[in-house]
Amino acid sequence: MAVTQDRLFGKSIKRTEDPRFITGRGNYVDDVKLAGMTYAAFVRSPHAHAWIKSIDVAAAKSQPGVVAVFTGKDMTGVNSLPCGWDLRKEKGVPGVVQDLAMVPHMPLASDFARHVGDPVAVVIAESQSAAVDAAEKVQVTWEPLPSVTATDKATAPGAPKVHDVPTGNVAFKWALGDGAATDAAFKAAAVTVKKRIVNQRLVANAMEPRACVARFEDATGELTLWVTSQNPHVHRLLMCAFVLGIPEHKVRVIAPDVGGGFGSKIFLYNEEVVCSWASRLIKRPIRWTATRREAYMTDAQGRDHVTDAEIALSKDGRILGLRVKTTANLGAYLSTFAPAVPTFLYGTLLNGVYAIGAIHVEVTGVFTNTTAVDAYRGAGRPEACYVLERIVDAGAAALKMDPLELRRKNFIPKFSGAFQTLVAVSYDSGDYAGALDKLMTVFDYKKFRTEQAAARTQGRLLGVGFSTYIEACSIAPSKLVGALGAGAGLYESGKVRVHPTGSVTVYTGSHAHGQGHETTFAQLVADELGIPMAQVEIVHGDTGLVPFGMGTYGSRSASVGGTAIKMSLDKIKEKGKKIAAHLLEASPNDMEYVNGQFQVKGVPGKAVPFGAVALTAYVPHNYP
Amino acid sequence: MKLPVKMTINGTSVNHEVEPRLLLVHYIRETVGLTGTHVGCDTSQCGACTIMMNGQAVKSCTLFAVQATGADIMTIEGLAKDGELHPIQQGFWEKHGLQCGFCTPGMILSALQLIQRYPKPSEEVIRHQLEGNLCRCTGYHNIVKAIEWAADKMAATK
Repeated sequence: MAVTQDRLFGKSIKRTEDPRFITGRGNYVDDVKLAGMTYAAFVRSPHAHAWIKSIDVAAAKSQPGVVAVFTGKDMTGVNSLPCGWDLRKEKGVPGVVQDLAMVPHMPLASDFARHVGDPVAVVIAESQSAAVDAAEKVQVTWEPLPSVTATDKATAPGAPKVHDVPTGNVAFKWALGDGAATDAAFKAAAVTVKKRIVNQRLVANAMEPRACVARFEDATGELTLWVTSQNPHVHRLLMCAFVLGIPEHKVRVIAPDVGGGFGSKIFLYNEEVVCSWASRLIKRPIRWTATRREAYMTDAQGRDHVTDAEIALSKDGRILGLRVKTTANLGAYLSTFAPAVPTFLYGTLLNGVYAIGAIHVEVTGVFTNTTAVDAYRGAGRPEACYVLERIVDAGAAALKMDPLELRRKNFIPKFSGAFQTLVAVSYDSGDYAGALDKLMTVFDYKKFRTEQAAARTQGRLLGVGFSTYIEACSIAPSKLVGALGAGAGLYESGKVRVHPTGSVTVYTGSHAHGQGHETTFAQLVADELGIPMAQVEIVHGDTGLVPFGMGTYGSRSASVGGTAIKMSLDKIKEKGKKIAAHLLEASPNDMEYVNGQFQVKGVPGKAVPFGAVALTAYVPHNYP
Repeated sequence: MKLPVKMTINGTSVNHEVEPRLLLVHYIRETVGLTGTHVGCDTSQCGACTIMMNGQAVKSCTLFAVQATGADIMTIEGLAKDGELHPIQQGFWEKHGLQCGFCTPGMILSALQLIQRYPKPSEEVIRHQLEGNLCRCTGYHNIVKAIEWAADKMAATK
């Protein structure tokens, strides 16, 4: 009997993952305990920039409980951590003015330390405390060197060079838009305003520090890495193909419960590579968990832009031109996706929601003696929004025009076809004035301004600010990101396995680290199949179970990961129709799937329930 | 040098020989094997390691295991009784008071002491009393709602 199930998607329901978290039974990487476990502690640079003259590990090796001590010189045959976004002209990447300097990033530095916290040695011991004790006995002879840390000083004459490359501290130069048209717009403008806009660096600070457990099994040659990752498949690919040169089928990466990411757990890090490499040598599992101090020194950080922005306006407040020159601090090394953030995730959003006459953006990525910068919450897009909205406000102030009025005047008129921006991307639809009108139904702006004026006479300061925001989510599809320099395809996988009893396991390449996918995706699947949520299980975070995946960042899980699951469900429905049609002696073309059953179109009485079709597929005594 | 420690954790008596410098949180996680208590920082800031010790919510990263000798300790694993969630646990589930779950055990045990002290806490009291517990995901909004929900439920069943 078909039972109509209320639509679950969009309903407020209790999360299915919560019971384990509220009872202390989550399974985070630092909770993983294995027989024969050893513990790693890293020796790190206390200097922003230093020559490593020598490292003496003899005293550390003789400490009680020490299993092994390694330095960068021991890691022969190990490659640099890769940067997965290749900003080079020869790759056909648009906008490249000066090719990205692909500087090496070795897992353990052996010549120079380039930022505070740069790891130079690892101690592996029987206990965490023994490892930390022995790490203090590693004698590094440092020769401190002059350093550069400030973004706007990186390319100043005489600035200390972070890497020995001909382009100095310029990592790349990139531009987008029409420079000549922008120059012309500024010439024709009644008013121009220039402003230096700083978007300061910040630390991502997930509550759970980064951690890894690496276990090499000598008998089978298999390596299992538990790691705090937003994208275990990306970790596997980068570590296997680029750094350690081991085949992917011998490596399993598990990202179990992960305590927040905010971007910082997308990237491949030194410690994961070192522990994986070392576990093959010592043939024992190794665990490393960052202290909060290490998180501050080594987790990829966010933002750090210094921008000179200029706006050109007509007397009546039309935005004629926008000129943006940004220096983006990449830190000491190129983190996994670092070059994409201040370029394609930034410049392409500078059109905002405005009809602007001409735009030109130039970005210079720079190296400094600081922790690497990479994608963090919104990655490039909030930076673009901040620049655009600040300079629009500055323009309004210069014209003595209401900032809201200036915005409204320049909104792209309502459109439903594609709107081609001046910075490569196009928008599919928009009604920005309509959105503002809606806001004005809940916020009485005129009244506020009156109250504000009254408050000022009493010596109280009341403020009001406006910002628009438009965002490019999902970082997909693969063809597009490939053309922009991505080293990877940015699809998602969603494998759906129907069990003989009609329950369903979904294997998604998306990864939840607080997002609640186990609930959200189960809602989606239950709705699509018309079966209860309790019959749906979501599996993620394990390359041994999920065949492929690209992971979770850039607001892509529902749009790309969810779509992959939906497409798999469509295939299952098509297959089910064939089976049900056979059982009912009907044509597959006459079948439909409604309320959890396959039925002859419009005839709910002539139907086979989902579970019965599943069982028939597994017990094919009567099969098409 | 090792020293003996003996305490009760979640109603079970435990005793081991440990280094005097071993932190209570590492004793609970690594020696006893209860991993619901988390370590989020090394500076006593985040509160993820909060446990109940002799009826007081304490940060177990700020005590040595040897200081807890003779103590009666409850960790997050000991809060639900006979498979029934404590009202605070129910409140966090009902009100979406968690996302990644890492801060949650400490948050819940701080909330337990909070409600013991202030059975009908205002939002202001809740936010002030939770100063020692950090959450990165929720913005605290739903944590406050979860604790209000739990306080109401606990008051009603008294």
